[in-house]
Amino acid sequence: MFQTALDTKPSQETKSARDIHLSAFRYMMLARVLDDKFAALYRAGGKIHGGVFLGRGQEGLSAAIGISLQKGDVFAPLIRDAAGRLAFGETVLDSVRTYLGSAHGPMRGRDGNVHRGNVQEGLLPMISHLGAMISVVNGILLARRFQKKFGTVGAACIGDGATSTGSFHEAVNQAAVEKLPLVLVIADNQYAYSTPTSRQFACDSLAHKAAGYGVDVQTVDGTDFSACLKVAGEAVSRARREGGPQMIVARLLRLCGHGEHDVAEYVDPELKKSPLGRDCLNVAQDFLIQKNWLDEPQLAAMKDEIAHEIETAVAQAQREPAPDPFAEEWRALVSGHLSEGTMEP
Amino acid sequence: MSLTYLEAIREAQARALRDDPRVFIYGQDVGAFGGAFKATKNLAMEFPGRVLDSPISEDAMVGMAVGAAIEGMRPIVEMQFADFSLVGFNQIVNQAATLYWRTNVPCPITVRLPFGGTSGSGPFHSQCIEAIYAHYPGLIVLTPATVEDAYSMLLEAVALDDPVIFCEHKFLYRHLKAEKLPDEALPVGKARIAREGRDLTVVTYSAMVHEALEAANELSTEGWEIEIVDLRSVKPLDTDTVVASVARTGKLLCVGEAWPWGGVTAEIISRVSVEGFGLLDAPPQRLNAKDTPVPYHHNLWAAHRPTARSIATTARNLLRQ
Amino acid sequence: MQVPIIMPQLGESIAEARIVNFLTQSGESIAADQNLIEVETDKATMTVTAPCAGKIEKFAAQLDESYAVGAILGYIEATKEEVARLGLDIPSLAKTSDTDRTVKADSNGRSRVQPTVRGLPVPANATGASYLSPRLKARMGELGLSAADLAGVAGSGAAGRVTIEDFEKFIATLEKHKMSAASSMRVAVADAMRRSWTRPLATVGLPVQLDALLAHRKKLDPKPGPALYALRAMAMALSENSAPAGRLVGNKIVHPGSIDVGFAVEAEDGVLVPVIRHADQKGLRDLTERYNELVELARQRKLPTDATGGSIATVTNYGTFGLTWATPIPLPEQTLVLGMGAGRRQPHWDEKQRQFVPIMEALLTISFDHRVLDGGAAGRLLQRILSLMQQPERL
Repeated sequence: MFQTALDTKPSQETKSARDIHLSAFRYMMLARVLDDKFAALYRAGGKIHGGVFLGRGQEGLSAAIGISLQKGDVFAPLIRDAAGRLAFGETVLDSVRTYLGSAHGPMRGRDGNVHRGNVQEGLLPMISHLGAMISVVNGILLARRFQKKFGTVGAACIGDGATSTGSFHEAVNQAAVEKLPLVLVIADNQYAYSTPTSRQFACDSLAHKAAGYGVDVQTVDGTDFSACLKVAGEAVSRARREGGPQMIVARLLRLCGHGEHDVAEYVDPELKKSPLGRDCLNVAQDFLIQKNWLDEPQLAAMKDEIAHEIETAVAQAQREPAPDPFAEEWRALVSGHLSEGTMEP
Repeated sequence: MSLTYLEAIREAQARALRDDPRVFIYGQDVGAFGGAFKATKNLAMEFPGRVLDSPISEDAMVGMAVGAAIEGMRPIVEMQFADFSLVGFNQIVNQAATLYWRTNVPCPITVRLPFGGTSGSGPFHSQCIEAIYAHYPGLIVLTPATVEDAYSMLLEAVALDDPVIFCEHKFLYRHLKAEKLPDEALPVGKARIAREGRDLTVVTYSAMVHEALEAANELSTEGWEIEIVDLRSVKPLDTDTVVASVARTGKLLCVGEAWPWGGVTAEIISRVSVEGFGLLDAPPQRLNAKDTPVPYHHNLWAAHRPTARSIATTARNLLRQ
Repeated sequence: MQVPIIMPQLGESIAEARIVNFLTQSGESIAADQNLIEVETDKATMTVTAPCAGKIEKFAAQLDESYAVGAILGYIEATKEEVARLGLDIPSLAKTSDTDRTVKADSNGRSRVQPTVRGLPVPANATGASYLSPRLKARMGELGLSAADLAGVAGSGAAGRVTIEDFEKFIATLEKHKMSAASSMRVAVADAMRRSWTRPLATVGLPVQLDALLAHRKKLDPKPGPALYALRAMAMALSENSAPAGRLVGNKIVHPGSIDVGFAVEAEDGVLVPVIRHADQKGLRDLTERYNELVELARQRKLPTDATGGSIATVTNYGTFGLTWATPIPLPEQTLVLGMGAGRRQPHWDEKQRQFVPIMEALLTISFDHRVLDGGAAGRLLQRILSLMQQPERL
């Protein structure tokens, strides 16, 4: 319906279902092995400074939204979206550089771990205040409307905990009022740190909030990557076509601690045993093998390739220099003439 | 033909909208209604689609402005009162103010805050919170005291590539008039000598500049000549001009309408103590609002903040030392 | 190659962890990322993983002991290739061990500094006539002035303080007068006299008969001057009772160490004070030699550092200027100065002969810090000096 002034990759609709599923699966596997690597480096002492936050269990959902977006779209991932970031185009090296504190990382040491991104490529680096990134996506979409750039979509990922924030509420409402092409992916993974959803919200499902805002919503089994791909693909298409906000509420279980410093003993063991506690990676693997889209040797080869890719990136990043405080320009303003400097004599 | 401080702000926005297609205004009631104070009167009509009514969502308003700025626009966010900007405080200080430092992408937003007290406004429509914003790195904080500065500094604020907190004094909106708009102006970051003097330096900003001028007139009849420095911008703070003035007079009185703890007056005295210790012929003084929320009743309100009278009294004590 | 196993930071505020279980042992071959040790923090039990594949060379940590974040728990023996493959052959990002940086609290938990606001070491806000503002001090510093130089300035500020305006007017008027540079000697003496004068000084005097002394000196070679007799007499008197030469510091009298006495020598634009050490232990002949040496050195401005300073009293002979009496000022670090005027022929009532007889007489004065001694004690000291000088064979 609208002209698209941006250079987009061929829409997902023209790729085969097999290719999309395999591509998504590879991103899921890559994210999982990368997360495992960060967890191991965290415990090896001295390699990672600060916290490590994993997305174990959410790879299917995250990869689904990442892969459904096109170049030129905007993506605001959150803590557990390693898979989505990789699917959207972030490199393993950028992720490793940020965690290992290389001066060549995208945040240049000024921010770390999951607070990373590449604004020029449309990948927004999160701030820690949950819900705050959604209105920023809104702003980008509004600006494109002003600039008559149509046909792009903005996606934001959040968790069940973030839906309680004022920022979330204001931003979803704002997107609805402005009728922006926002796709909001809510990963209801049952826990916000140690807080179960029974202490987070009182409605039966987060999907019920959509009616309150006047936006479309779809629910999905977050452990089923194929279902996630379908729902995410449709939501993105709908937003792109009709231009109104789309909400996706996926249910799954967080399969790691809030951070790697958290052993998460509070997670209800019943949940772990239930279908909600399925590992989306196993589900995906079984699905692909059953469909004959993947066999054991191919899987083994994929794992090897991935292990090698990650090891190479880690080895490279470890060799790179750390930021040098004496080479830093300690200035937070673009306008140099208005910067007050260190104020030390 | 004269215009008020408020009209100057409106004119500046009109000119920004006219000259730069990247500019748009976003705030509550700014559209057809023209804004709670009429600062955007008729602009929605003159510039259709570029003056938008927002929901009551200061957090999302600022977040949206940041996103728009990332995408190349120059948004002006109108907060209805400075006091309400605090709902969007996180987005201002943690999103807008950190964006350039974290990502090298500039964030050219301007957030307009109607601030300062008028009698009867009460605790939540009177706050002066420029010091809290100034505390965060990555922000520019402006406090124009004259009609001319309201106009030229707002234009410069929109043109700057950094997030600007533009503090407009509500009392000055209609009480201050000027004959015409200026052709040229002092740049942002430079303080102005509002009145030349010899015996004592008063450093202040916004509405307090006018209270200080009145106090100076009173003291002039007693043979004292007070020099008044109008900071114009709180961050960056023009320390050089302040120190040069204290070098001339030897005595310093800082006046602010905000509360004492960690306020602009504290910052000025700290800088003068460090950079001009040997210039002081008497201990530096400061005059601020009392350390309570801003009262509602006129009697209490009038006693809560510095006035021309209290400025003159404090100055007199200092002059006699 | 040796690769250290380092205690990780297992949470933001975690500083240490306790070893609760070894999952591997010395000599065992391990894979990269393998769990090696179980540790417990106050939040959870976690594992420490291997940074690379290899063989555990040894564990440096012990079961049930706590180790700080960054501490080395053991070593892995790994091949060069393995280390290179994982990029471990560069200085690691580990901070230097924090094990030696814990601050031990005082054993009974009390801090040594008592927080108190009683008794500030300096007044927070001085006012009044003697108050010098930072600006005034800065200007005074610029011009090399001290408070004494402002004695002539009337203050127009609060309680009579000298304001910067008063000061600048004063300097402006000075500049209208003819001015010449003061020598460094002059400035030094000015400073010493200013400091001395901060004490309440008083003077007592007595005439001394010089006839016996003059006869005595005729027989000596080299001949000591009369002032030297005075110096020797004072040294002996002070060795009998050194209290008058003590110094008052606060509420304590500091007694002199050795009886080192100085004497004033006029030099160019000021005064030098060479010192004779242990003057009580040197007879007149030794004193004379030493005295002459020092006078020569002083005149040549070649006094060695050990020959000046540290004296407990000074003798000044203003008689050489023809003065009969004076009230000299002691050095700022001394309580006493003994002055001697010019000798004159004076009539003296001789009780035996019931008539006036001519004698040679000079006036001795002692100026003293009245905080340390009163007129009586000063008088007694003077009497003793007198009596010794009038019996020169005892010196």
